[in-house]
Amino acid sequence: MSEQIEQALSRKYEAGFYSEIEAETFENGLDESVIRRLSEMKNEPEWMLEWRLKAYRAWLEMEEPEWAHVNYPKIDFQAISYYSAPKSMKDKPKSLDEVDPELLRTYEKLGIPLHEQEMLAGVAVDAVFDSVSVVTTYREKLEEAGVIFCPISEALHRFPELVKKYIGSVVPRTDNYYAALNCAVFTDGSFVYIPKGVRCPMELSTYFRINEQNTGQFERTLIVADEGSHVSYLEGCTAPQRDENQLHAAVVELVAMDNATIKYSTVQNWYPGDEEGKGGIYNFVTKRGICHTNAKISWTQVETGSAVTWKYPSCVLKGDNSVGEFYSVALTRGMQQADTGTKMIHMGKNTRSTIISKGISAGKSNNAYRGLVKMGPKADGARNFTQCDSLLIGDKCGAHTFPYIESRNPSAIVEHEATTSKVSDDQMFLCQQRGLDPEKAVSMIVNGFCKEVFKELPMEFAVEAGKLLEISLEGSVG
Amino acid sequence: MSQWLAKVIDVAQENQDFLAPVRQQAISKLQQAGWPSQRAEQWRFTPLAPVKDRTFNQTQTDENVSVPEIAGLDSIDIIFTNGVLTTSLADLALPEGLRIVSFAQANAQQQADIKTMFGRVKPEAHVFGQVNDALSQHGVMIDVADNANISPVVRLINLTSADSDNHTRTLVKLGHNAKAKVMELGQGEHDSMNTAVAEYAIGDNASLEHYRFAFYTANAKAVGGSHFKLGEAAKLNSTVVGYGSQLSRLDIDIWHAAENAFAKLNAIYLLAEGELFDLHTCIEHAKPHGTSEENARGIIGDGARAVFNGRIHIHRDAQKTLAEMNNRNLLLSRRALVNTKPELEIYADDVKCAHGATVAEIEGNELFYLLSRGISRQRAMVMLNFGFIQELVNDIPSKAVASWLQPKLTERFAQMEVK
Amino acid sequence: MLSIKNLHASVDEKDIIRGLNLEVKPGEVHAIMGPNGAGKSTLGYVLSGREGYEVSQGEARFNGKDLMEMEVEERAREGMFLAFQYPVEIPGVSNMEFMKESVNAIREQRGEETLTAAEFLKKAKEACKQVQLPLDFLKRGVNEGFSGGEKKRNEIMQMILLEPSLCILDESDSGLDVDALQVVADGVNSQRDGKRSFIVVTHYQRLLDYIKPDFVHILAEGQIVKSGDASLALEVEKSGYAFLGKKYEGETA
Repeated sequence: MSEQIEQALSRKYEAGFYSEIEAETFENGLDESVIRRLSEMKNEPEWMLEWRLKAYRAWLEMEEPEWAHVNYPKIDFQAISYYSAPKSMKDKPKSLDEVDPELLRTYEKLGIPLHEQEMLAGVAVDAVFDSVSVVTTYREKLEEAGVIFCPISEALHRFPELVKKYIGSVVPRTDNYYAALNCAVFTDGSFVYIPKGVRCPMELSTYFRINEQNTGQFERTLIVADEGSHVSYLEGCTAPQRDENQLHAAVVELVAMDNATIKYSTVQNWYPGDEEGKGGIYNFVTKRGICHTNAKISWTQVETGSAVTWKYPSCVLKGDNSVGEFYSVALTRGMQQADTGTKMIHMGKNTRSTIISKGISAGKSNNAYRGLVKMGPKADGARNFTQCDSLLIGDKCGAHTFPYIESRNPSAIVEHEATTSKVSDDQMFLCQQRGLDPEKAVSMIVNGFCKEVFKELPMEFAVEAGKLLEISLEGSVG
Repeated sequence: MSQWLAKVIDVAQENQDFLAPVRQQAISKLQQAGWPSQRAEQWRFTPLAPVKDRTFNQTQTDENVSVPEIAGLDSIDIIFTNGVLTTSLADLALPEGLRIVSFAQANAQQQADIKTMFGRVKPEAHVFGQVNDALSQHGVMIDVADNANISPVVRLINLTSADSDNHTRTLVKLGHNAKAKVMELGQGEHDSMNTAVAEYAIGDNASLEHYRFAFYTANAKAVGGSHFKLGEAAKLNSTVVGYGSQLSRLDIDIWHAAENAFAKLNAIYLLAEGELFDLHTCIEHAKPHGTSEENARGIIGDGARAVFNGRIHIHRDAQKTLAEMNNRNLLLSRRALVNTKPELEIYADDVKCAHGATVAEIEGNELFYLLSRGISRQRAMVMLNFGFIQELVNDIPSKAVASWLQPKLTERFAQMEVK
Repeated sequence: MLSIKNLHASVDEKDIIRGLNLEVKPGEVHAIMGPNGAGKSTLGYVLSGREGYEVSQGEARFNGKDLMEMEVEERAREGMFLAFQYPVEIPGVSNMEFMKESVNAIREQRGEETLTAAEFLKKAKEACKQVQLPLDFLKRGVNEGFSGGEKKRNEIMQMILLEPSLCILDESDSGLDVDALQVVADGVNSQRDGKRSFIVVTHYQRLLDYIKPDFVHILAEGQIVKSGDASLALEVEKSGYAFLGKKYEGETA
């Protein structure tokens, strides 16, 4: 029976194509001159360059973290190119008509048409290709509502004060090894600002695509939701199928001011490598949000790609009554390794957090949940509930749970539960006896296992996530 | 390097007993690894500063020690004082099937037996396990013959006087179908240091009732461990009670080395002002059809810190394992602190595993109800909090032990301030 | 419809079915009774193709096709339905979702149009009412947290929706009180249309008071040792399984 399940899980990576696009790519290697050149290319203000250099110098002194339950050869940071952009983007196309059609075709192939009339209604997209943003749709419509949604490189020129105020305010430059590297060499990403009291009229989304060989992707996203505002944001990502590993080290910072709500969803589908573990993206990401009084940040992630994932989207619940949520599905197959989870730092009174993590391990993969729930001395009446469930498929994979709980407040309540289960022969037999083929049966059981998380995704994307899981499972549930 | 550890190494190198080759390995490791960094996962929440620069001191025996009596308990007492075995084993009346040999008096055959047991159950451990390997010249081997059913409890009593070091080792072997009861009890005075290690090899179908009471308080320091290897269908029922001190750390390792073994571990900790208790448990399921049940519950008073690290590791072969672990903590003050980490590491798919951890306070309504009936706040908290500790006390297999422990715990809890 | 000849089957290398013959024609209801350990449940599993149930000899044909050549789901799509003695829980997958998938997989096989969500919902609601389950059971996870009786009724609801041509009811009466039994039996009886066939596997005669069989077979030690009409069941009820030999004395039906 488990053989059938294994088969149903065998992968097909549909986003693994490469687009022939003439690119301007830095030669491999990293030193201060590379950072200066990068900053110059983007015509950045002086303070930004200084900020990058400080991060770089700090990074040189830092050590690569080794505590995660993952194994990979040491990364040669000199063998990576830190900037690559389609040549056609040099002239900064003013409208979609001026964008290289090959670029547009790439996104179309990925199921993300960038022509507004063809897009999902109600979703604005920032398309980032290697190191640059290609286009951001629905900008006028958003600007009418006062919402800023643009590449962060552009925001540096148009809204320098906003960027300067918030960049690095949630994830400090020296937060960790990869965050520091990102601060030094980040190329592009999205910037979002929602003014006071505004409910963002559309879903915002950024789609990251790595295309060039030997390039790292270091994007940076900064979302500021001012008092009483509301925004829902989604990111997606894919990369061509290659035998070499590629590094992706992003930083995402969220600021939810008083009474604001940010919903951040990720559908991560970087190339995972082949069955033998050859190739694939190293996905080392730092994501953190800060919640002021009564604010709420909700992270939802569906992680199916990457060879190695190291990622802990976190919430600092600073303001009283603020709320943090983390809903995660992580599926690993083949030789994939994931060490992912969250941190909920309760500082304010009556802060609440919920963690629902569903890990599915198959093949020879290893899937670990690592989380921290911290109740500070002032977090009176704070509450956390954590549920970590693992599903093992086959007897060559591993499922692990490493929850750290720290409490310093007697009135705070922390509850943690974890279980493991398998797709049972009984379940498979029942489904098949009712006429479902094994692929569909596995897909359905796995989807059921993940249901609590999928229902947290924005409507438009729940379907996409479900589909992604199906592609991964090679089934086709309607 | 720590001043204490440097002295430990010096002293260890002078010792030349029949275990010297094994000890030499430990010494080399200590020399290589040096003093652990606070960042090491093992010591992340447990500062080792109190031991680092204390003065190493192997004093001789102390006549003024008092041995805790347990009413109604039939026991065979083996007493170590400041690292020295002070019980005359020859004077003990042992039931048939029970043999107790001291390291110092072992004959050639017994020395060979000791060598085959020493360090075979204790995992490749941290610095204090190695210190014990290097220094434990005074130890005993307890051998329970196949099919023997030993009814008295063998008590291993470890007492340490002020400013003294105490590093002893016990090796326990239960033959096939054997039944035995062993209690490890430790107490220490001002600035004492104890690393008592016990290793248990429980044979096929054998059954062990085990207790470990770490009654270290104030600035008595202790870092010790009880380590178990379970044979086929072997049974272990262990109860652990820890008070807290400046540094009190206990490692419990249970290794399911054969099929169908069963292990139950109940742990209680009650920590008062300024105390720390760190319980590290690790259950290794290496073979199929094993069962483990673990319950650790603690109350953490004002200014106290509890650390719980519970690990369940299910190996590839250990299909059909049932493993459950639960850790519950109650904080009595906002100056109380708990770090808990219930870990699962699973490599087999057909297993049932669950763990849970909670940190909570007493339900406000319940407290109000009691207060409104005129019960003092202190008393009300005792009544309400004690319930979840009481469940584990009720689960203790020996009535005599339970009724001896009960008032001790109640009294200790009553002294803990609720803020 | 179903033709079983000299069937031998084993589980874990232990022979359970040892030379069983059975002929079921459209519209017939066959009751299979027998003492504990006779191989009653095994028969249902072997026919539906459960893994681990090895057929060593003989044959079983369903609508002329060799059953042993077909996968579990192919048999289901061909019209075979097994009502489980112990229905399985699938957390998170709603009854609705599950049955819609199943119904449409089977309809596709039959060359029928798949049902739209609305059409399906209408049918599902009717079936749900028929087995007297509250409608919210459609939204709940498959058998998740259902009582024993609810699980059995849920099986019958699925049977009604899937419109199979051969229904094998594996001890659908076990653990039910009289009222629940009546609901299950009514559900089954409503599906008797002269074409659909049933194999009712039961230890006790009482289910057969509600579902009238055309034939009753006594299964013992892997073989049908006695066949007759409904009166055979009553006979067994009166005198138990003692006639099978000493070891069955005291085992009532």
